[in-house]
Amino acid sequence: MSDKVEISKSGRRFIGALMVVCAALLVAEFIIHRHAYFALEATPLFFALFGFAAFCVVVGGGVLLRKLVMRPTDYYQDDDNA
Amino acid sequence: MLDAILAIPGMMLILGALAVPLLPPMVRNYYMLALIGFSGWSVWQIETGVHMTASLAGIEIILVRAEAITKPFALVFHIAAALNVIYAMHEDVKITATAGLAYAGAAIAALFAGDFLTLFAYWELTAFTSVFLVLAGNTSRSLGAAMRYLLMQVASGVILLAGAVLLWRSGAGFAITALDATTPAGFCVLLAFGIKAAFPFLNGWLQDAYPEASVTGTVVLSAFTTKLSIYMLALCFAGLTPLIWVGAVMTLFPVFFAVIENDLRRVLAFSLNNQLGFMVVGIGVGTELALNGTVAHAFAHIIYKSLLFMSMGAVLYRTGTAKASELGGLWKQMPLTAIFCIIGAVSISSFPLFSGFVTKSLTIGAAAKEGYFLVWLALIFASAGVLEHSGIKIPYFAFFGHDRKFKVKEAPLNMLIAMGIAAALCVLIGIFPQPLYALLPYEVKYDVWETGHVLGELQLLLFAVLAFVFLIVRGLYPPEIDSTVLNTDWLLRRALPRVAKGIAMPVLALWFSGVALAQKGLMAALRLSEETSRASGLVSGIASTGAAAGIFLAVFALMLVTRLFT
Repeated sequence: MSDKVEISKSGRRFIGALMVVCAALLVAEFIIHRHAYFALEATPLFFALFGFAAFCVVVGGGVLLRKLVMRPTDYYQDDDNA
Repeated sequence: MLDAILAIPGMMLILGALAVPLLPPMVRNYYMLALIGFSGWSVWQIETGVHMTASLAGIEIILVRAEAITKPFALVFHIAAALNVIYAMHEDVKITATAGLAYAGAAIAALFAGDFLTLFAYWELTAFTSVFLVLAGNTSRSLGAAMRYLLMQVASGVILLAGAVLLWRSGAGFAITALDATTPAGFCVLLAFGIKAAFPFLNGWLQDAYPEASVTGTVVLSAFTTKLSIYMLALCFAGLTPLIWVGAVMTLFPVFFAVIENDLRRVLAFSLNNQLGFMVVGIGVGTELALNGTVAHAFAHIIYKSLLFMSMGAVLYRTGTAKASELGGLWKQMPLTAIFCIIGAVSISSFPLFSGFVTKSLTIGAAAKEGYFLVWLALIFASAGVLEHSGIKIPYFAFFGHDRKFKVKEAPLNMLIAMGIAAALCVLIGIFPQPLYALLPYEVKYDVWETGHVLGELQLLLFAVLAFVFLIVRGLYPPEIDSTVLNTDWLLRRALPRVAKGIAMPVLALWFSGVALAQKGLMAALRLSEETSRASGLVSGIASTGAAAGIFLAVFALMLVTRLFT
């Protein structure tokens, strides 16, 4: 899981562009007023932080779920052949 | 008479499907497209209201009736049916072509059913026709999945019928109308819809069967059954508050399964389940905005979900696998498929200017407007989840990621055309949502383009993409592993047989020991009778004539004695 991933040239370009756009969105937060239904939503940078965190939680949750529900590919095969 | 029958929406496709196996391949495809086009045109003319009734054994049944939400569903079902035909033009498989057309017809006819008996007939017809698409996978796995699929679909139909009968007995008649879920009849109907809409714990069949179908079969399957159920839920249970929570759970749990599922078509089946969750939330909230959201989302979803399944189907068709652990780097060989897939991916992730944004926003907005804070939070969390599995995982592992150096060609032209049309619709709806909004049951007053809303959405999505990049670069993103991910179909496939065995084993043991005991007794009796009747036995043995004479004499003497003394 922790093997270093090689990033291709186009991949690096994509990451660079993404960083620029994300930075722009952070700046925009202080220029554009976001209408909020809930107090939490009105917190500065709520969506940016929530998006980042939620993604990590989804992936982390998946890793934990794997321990619970991952089985060999032929798990049901024995039943089918029985 | 035939005029009247053909005037039933969808019937043209159901009956027209009968001729499909008789036609040569090229004629067949254009015949089907013409049929779908004509059917779509005639259905388009149908205004809301009851249009055709009949009397069956003294019961009035409503064969054709349109509600405010019927038109958008009927339209998108026709679009999906046409895309399916184009997508499958390269192959010559009569059974899936026939079943696919009849399945679409049955689903369209069901939209216009005005009573539960009529609905039941089409409900079962969708099950019976669609199972052939799973069978077309043509593997031992798909055979098993098809049987389990049929079991669940038919069970849903039987429960629906039970609900209909209970409803009739309560004096409410068979008409499809708003129902009270706390009555036995209402609950049965809700359960029947819940099975086909893949509610939590009733969802296993979806992820089990859809990915086992053929390349084209899965695309056909993805459009109709579940959305027909959403449509019916909206007609009968709009505003049923518990559905909000059911829907919220539906949006959440599939995202975790989708992270670890290796088969990309199965990832899409989990994703489909998550999308249905958003629609169910909208039905539960039940306000004008929420129901608009559900209908609009169903419309856009059918197209982009179909597009995603088509792109993965094309990958499977060319490479022979849809497993993330075996795929990667295909953008070089299949650039157009990759572009179409990405358009589907950004649409489902609801990036502004794509169809998911202008439709899903209505539902999330409705939940927020009604003050459902936790539900709202769940929905935006699930949106980040959608981005993870459908927005990133699908295109990344198929077309980028680890380059497997496949030597394959781009998808066949017909597949590219079908994907191109679907992709164009995703963009068109995303940029010009007004024609779709005009089809919705209520006037759309929600401004999806409000700058703050667009900003929030972009922040949510792009920072989630940033999280993905972060995890990948740091080597923290979990590798794809070829495996079986247990799902609720485990209950049917493992738990139930085990429980059944647990009960059956002692019963069988008792039965067999009883049988053994009876057998022993019988054998003993047989042996006894055999011994007594053997050649040297007492009864039928060949005794000496002397002995025989002796016995005769003894009997004779006994007779004399009894004669003399009586």
